[in-house]
Amino acid sequence: MSIPGFVIRNALRNKRRLLLSVLSAAVSLFLLVSLMVLLREFTQPPTDADAALRVAVRNKVSLMSLIPQRQRAIIERVPGVDVMTPFIFFGGKTDPDGGIRFGTLAIEPSKLKRLFPEIHCAAAEYESWLKDRTSCIVGRDTAQQYGYKVGDRFTLVSGIFPCKLEMRVAGIYFGTVDDRNLFLHHKYLDEAMHDWGQTGMWWLKVSSAEVMPQVIDEINKAFANTANEVRAESERAFQASFVSMWGGIKFLIGSISGFVLLTLVMVTASTMSMAVRERFRELAILKALGFRRRDLFALILAESFGLAALGALIGAGGAWAFYTGMDVPRATHGIFVTLEVTPQMLGTAALVAAMLGIVSCLAPAIAVARMSVTEGLRTLD
Amino acid sequence: MQHEPIVTIRHLSKIYRQGEMEIAALDDVSLDIARGEFLSLMGPSGSGKSTLLHIIAGVDRPTSGSCHVGGIDVTDLDESQLADWRNQNVGFVFQSFNLIPVLTAFENVELPLLLMDLSSSQRRELVNTALELVGLADRRKHLPKQMSGGQEQRVAIARAIATDPRLIVADEPTGNLDSASADTVLEILQTLSGEAGKTVIMVTHDPRAASHGSRTIHLEKGKLLP
Repeated sequence: MSIPGFVIRNALRNKRRLLLSVLSAAVSLFLLVSLMVLLREFTQPPTDADAALRVAVRNKVSLMSLIPQRQRAIIERVPGVDVMTPFIFFGGKTDPDGGIRFGTLAIEPSKLKRLFPEIHCAAAEYESWLKDRTSCIVGRDTAQQYGYKVGDRFTLVSGIFPCKLEMRVAGIYFGTVDDRNLFLHHKYLDEAMHDWGQTGMWWLKVSSAEVMPQVIDEINKAFANTANEVRAESERAFQASFVSMWGGIKFLIGSISGFVLLTLVMVTASTMSMAVRERFRELAILKALGFRRRDLFALILAESFGLAALGALIGAGGAWAFYTGMDVPRATHGIFVTLEVTPQMLGTAALVAAMLGIVSCLAPAIAVARMSVTEGLRTLD
Repeated sequence: MQHEPIVTIRHLSKIYRQGEMEIAALDDVSLDIARGEFLSLMGPSGSGKSTLLHIIAGVDRPTSGSCHVGGIDVTDLDESQLADWRNQNVGFVFQSFNLIPVLTAFENVELPLLLMDLSSSQRRELVNTALELVGLADRRKHLPKQMSGGQEQRVAIARAIATDPRLIVADEPTGNLDSASADTVLEILQTLSGEAGKTVIMVTHDPRAASHGSRTIHLEKGKLLP
């Protein structure tokens, strides 16, 4: 027999309690990892390498405020601007009485592939879209979810603007980090809005990452003190400001995570306290046999640590297997594109489990350390 | 034959405080115990015999006085030193056996050896020798619940002698046993004292058990009776 063997025997002496304790730790850590996954999904939308070259330009007042299309000529002249397209959330609904089920974005089609090179669409379908301003291309996830095929026709009613657009599906695209959107011609919207001369944002691509700060600075300066001041920022900065709207959800998820941790610590500490209290007399015997305080502390810590580690392996490992194996868009009905368990999350879960192992054994370990052998022996007979 | 004392106790007192009250468990006890002696400690409940045994074994501390065991004043050792000293010098036998229920007889006996710098084969040899000495070599793989009370106590004795201690302290070792098992246990303790040269100190209420010892002393109200 070895000391680790002795620890395992002790841990296994009440198998039902061990199972329930490990499961409670596993479920809590699964929940914790899930919350971290959700938080990441809310706060760090996935991006690609080209994101480093993209710039978003929006009305300085708010994202909801429009900007005039006449700005285009000024922005296009800024050195370093390679590609530029107007961009606006159309807020299209296929069912006028229903909700918005997927993103409908009006842009300049000829710029789409240059702005987002990762987009893949059959050449014939893409050509067809470019030629027909009443057509659209639909993300593969949305097409699969709602059964759209090339040639399908439907009406998009805007939930934002007073117009509706008859649409033909010209193609299906894929390859982006979010294959759920529908792209339509900005010109088609302009016509429906009687050439209103407005757009929601400008999306640009700059020639290199080095020129980006200068481009941003020049665009911001160009419209300073005008009726339509803009805020130009990198895609990452834009996403960060967009995400700031999720502040409440971040707080909520953070709070739930905190309570999960607290409950986890209490459950494990209770288990360890019970396990040690039941063995108080045996621990007194071990002390009499020559086990020192630190030996007993190590025995209790190892058991507590083992319990937490097993819980982490099942809980965090299970979360990794679950989210890696699941078809996220289908399982979440398109709400999420990816639910990724990162190594950092697994590291956090392992750290939490380690802290749990230590914290939950502190009280019983201190009680054992304080117990004199005679005190423990007196409880024997 | 009497040898030089292995235990020398001088003016030992132990006072417990319960609120404002002071209770003297031991009151100015002085005593010598010879090497190889089988000493029976008798006395009514609360007379201080277990307290005296615990101080000699280094699991309790006196309020005053000294207790030298093998030339070392155990009252001067700190917690960590005492733990090591107990592991190397004292074997414990308790009334209720106190074997670890999830460990086999072999593993229970091996337990104190895990603290020593021994290889697994050295430990195995020592455990087997101890179990053979108490006549339970064939029970090494049995759990405590698979053995009788007498067998459990013999395993406890094997655990007590596995580290080859100088001192064996037994607190009512026959208290939970039938007379046949008690006789076996007492004979083993006698053998350990007489043939193996171990010093055995046994607390008992039972005059018949005490008669197996080479000397019997009586305690009452914390004092040694003449």
